[in-house]
Amino acid sequence: MAITGSSSSAATSDAPARAADVVVGLATYNHARTAGAVVGHVRQSLEALPSVRWCIVAADGGSTDGTLERMREAAGGTDAFVEVPYTIHPADALDVPYHGLPGRARALRAILQEARTRQARACLVLDARADPPSANWPAAVDPLSAGELDYVSPVYCRHPATAGLVHGVVSPVFRALYGLRLSTPLAMEFGCSGRFLEAALGETVWDSEREQRTIDLWLSTMAAVGGFQVGEAHVGGRHGSERPDVNLATTVSQVVGALFSEMESRVQVWQRIRGSRPVRQLGERQTCEEPALDVGSLIESFKLGYAALQEVWAEVLPPMAILQWRRLATQPMDGFRVDEALWARTIYDFAMGHRLRVIARDHLLRSLTPLYLAWLASFIQQTRHTGVEEAEARIEQLALAFEAEKPYIISQWRWPERFRPVKLRR
Amino acid sequence: MWDQIDDMLRRAALRTVENVAEFLPGLVGMLIILLTALVLALVARNLVLRALRGLRFDQRVQHLGFSAVADWSAAGPSVLVARATMWIILFAGVLIGLSALGAALPGAFARTIFAYLPGVAAALLILVAGVIFSRFLARSVLIGAVNQGFPFAVLLSGGVRWLVLLVAWAMAFEHLGLGRGILTLAFGILFGGIVLALALAVGLGSKELVGRSLERQVREPADRPDKLTHV
Repeated sequence: MAITGSSSSAATSDAPARAADVVVGLATYNHARTAGAVVGHVRQSLEALPSVRWCIVAADGGSTDGTLERMREAAGGTDAFVEVPYTIHPADALDVPYHGLPGRARALRAILQEARTRQARACLVLDARADPPSANWPAAVDPLSAGELDYVSPVYCRHPATAGLVHGVVSPVFRALYGLRLSTPLAMEFGCSGRFLEAALGETVWDSEREQRTIDLWLSTMAAVGGFQVGEAHVGGRHGSERPDVNLATTVSQVVGALFSEMESRVQVWQRIRGSRPVRQLGERQTCEEPALDVGSLIESFKLGYAALQEVWAEVLPPMAILQWRRLATQPMDGFRVDEALWARTIYDFAMGHRLRVIARDHLLRSLTPLYLAWLASFIQQTRHTGVEEAEARIEQLALAFEAEKPYIISQWRWPERFRPVKLRR
Repeated sequence: MWDQIDDMLRRAALRTVENVAEFLPGLVGMLIILLTALVLALVARNLVLRALRGLRFDQRVQHLGFSAVADWSAAGPSVLVARATMWIILFAGVLIGLSALGAALPGAFARTIFAYLPGVAAALLILVAGVIFSRFLARSVLIGAVNQGFPFAVLLSGGVRWLVLLVAWAMAFEHLGLGRGILTLAFGILFGGIVLALALAVGLGSKELVGRSLERQVREPADRPDKLTHV
C-alpha cells in the first residue's frame, strides 16, 4: 500500500508513482459498511485482466468509522492500492449534499490527478457506497484505453420509477439541452480516458461550492458539449444514490438547482443544439424487476402542495399551467395523469423563474417537490404492471416531449418579457 | 401742531417702509426657496419615476410582499413613491421657507419636525425590513411544512408572518416614541395569550393526536414518499 498526496498526514511513499493502464478511484467519507466490499470486488475484477496494469485509488475525506481500514483489508496488502487524502472544508460539512459525500469535487480531482500522475489511459470512478458493487465496468476499459471513447456513463438495471428525479427531470432536460441521450447524467460513477481527465483537470470548477454537490452533472455536461466521444455501460443493478436522512425537497433543490445553474452557464451551447443523438452502448442490457410502489401518498402530497403553494407557483407558471394542475388536483386516483408537455413546460418555467430569481431560488426549487411527486405518481400509475420496457418507452416519450418543447424555453430565454406567469399578469 | 402730526406721520411711514424693507428680503427668500423646492420636487419626481420604472419596481414590490401598496395608488407603486418624494421635498421647502421669514412659531415647528425625521426614517426602515423578512420566513415555513406533509401549513405560515409583522410594527412604534408602555404591555399580553392558548389547545384538545403523531415518528420514520429513491 502506498500513501501519496500533498496534504496527507500519513507517511508518503518516496518511490515514484508506478505507471498504471487503468486507475479505479473511490471517493469515501465514512463508508465503512460498503467500501471494503467494493474494493474487494474491484480487485477481483481487475485481477481477471492479467495484461492490464491497474491501481486502486482511494480518496478519503478523513473517515472516522474505519473506512480506510476496511479498504486496506480488502485490498489484501497489494501495493496497487493507493490512498490520496482530500480536504473537507467547514462549509462542505455544513451543507450536506444529497449523496452524503462532502467535498466530492475535490475528492474526484485527487483521483484524477493521481490517474494523470500514473499516466493512466483509462480511469474509472466507482461509488464506494454501492451495495452490491456495480459489476460489468470492465466492459468500459478497452474502449477507453483504446481512445474509442472518452467518457462512459453507467446505465443501471432498475425501474425508472426508482430514480424518478433522474428519469423525469435530469435526463430529459439534459437530452433536450445538450442533444445527448444519457440515461443517468447524474450518476456518481463514470469512466474516462486520459484525454478527458486532462481536459477536466484544466478546468477551474473543482473548488466551487456548488460543484461539491453536483460535480457529476458538470462532468457529464462537459463530456456532452466538449467534443468527446461518449458511451454508456450497463453495469448492473443499483438502488438510489441519495442519503435516506436527506429529505426529498433538499435533494430536489440541490439536483434541479445544479441542472438549472449548468443551463445558465452553458446558454450559448444549448441554444444552438437541435434534436439528440444516441450514445454507444457497452455490455449487456439486464432485466430488472418492477418494484411495488404506492402512489396514494404521492398524490396526497401533491394535493396538499396544490392547496398551499398556488401563490408560489403563480410566480413562475402561466395561467394555463395552473389551470391544468388544478384539474389534476381534483382528479381521482385512477384518472391521475400528468401530460408530458405540461410537465416539460413546467420544468422550463421553473428554469426561467430560477434564472430571473422571481423568488428566492431555494424556495422556488423546493416548491417543485409536490409537482414532481405528482408527475412520479402519474408515471407509476401509467406503467403499473406493464413491465420495465413499457416504462422505458414512457420515459422515451417524455424525453421527446422535452425536446419538442425546447423552442418554448429558447424563446423565453432570449426574450424574458415573454415569461408571463400568473403573478405578472395581475 | 401740524408740524407734530406731519412728523408722526412721516415716522409712521418710515417705520412701515422699514418694516416692509425688513420683511421683504425674507419674503423674497421664501418665494425663492419655494420655487426652488418646487423645481427640485418636480425633477426628483421624474427622476425617481424613471429610475423605479427602469428597476421594475412595481413587479419587485409585488414579489417582496407589498402588494397592498399597489392598492393605495391606481397608477402603481412607482408613481406613489415618486409623488411621495415630490411632496416631501415641497413640505421641506415650505418649512425652510417659513424659517427664512424669521417667524418664531413656524421656525420652532420646523426644528421639531426635522428632529423627528430620523426616528420616522428608522421606523420606516424597520417596517420595510419586517415586511420582507416576514414574507421570506412565511414562505420558508409554508414550503417546508408542505414538503413535510403538514396539513396546516398555510395556517402556520400565516401565523409566522403576522407574528413577525407584529414585532416589526411594535419596534417601529417604539422608535417613534408612540405609546411605549401600552404597546409593551399589549404585546406581552398578546404573546402570552397565544402561547397559553396553544399550550391549552395541544395539552387538552390534541393530547392523543400529538402522542400518536410522535409515536409514529419514532416507530415509522420512513413511512413517507421519501421512502422511494429518486436519484
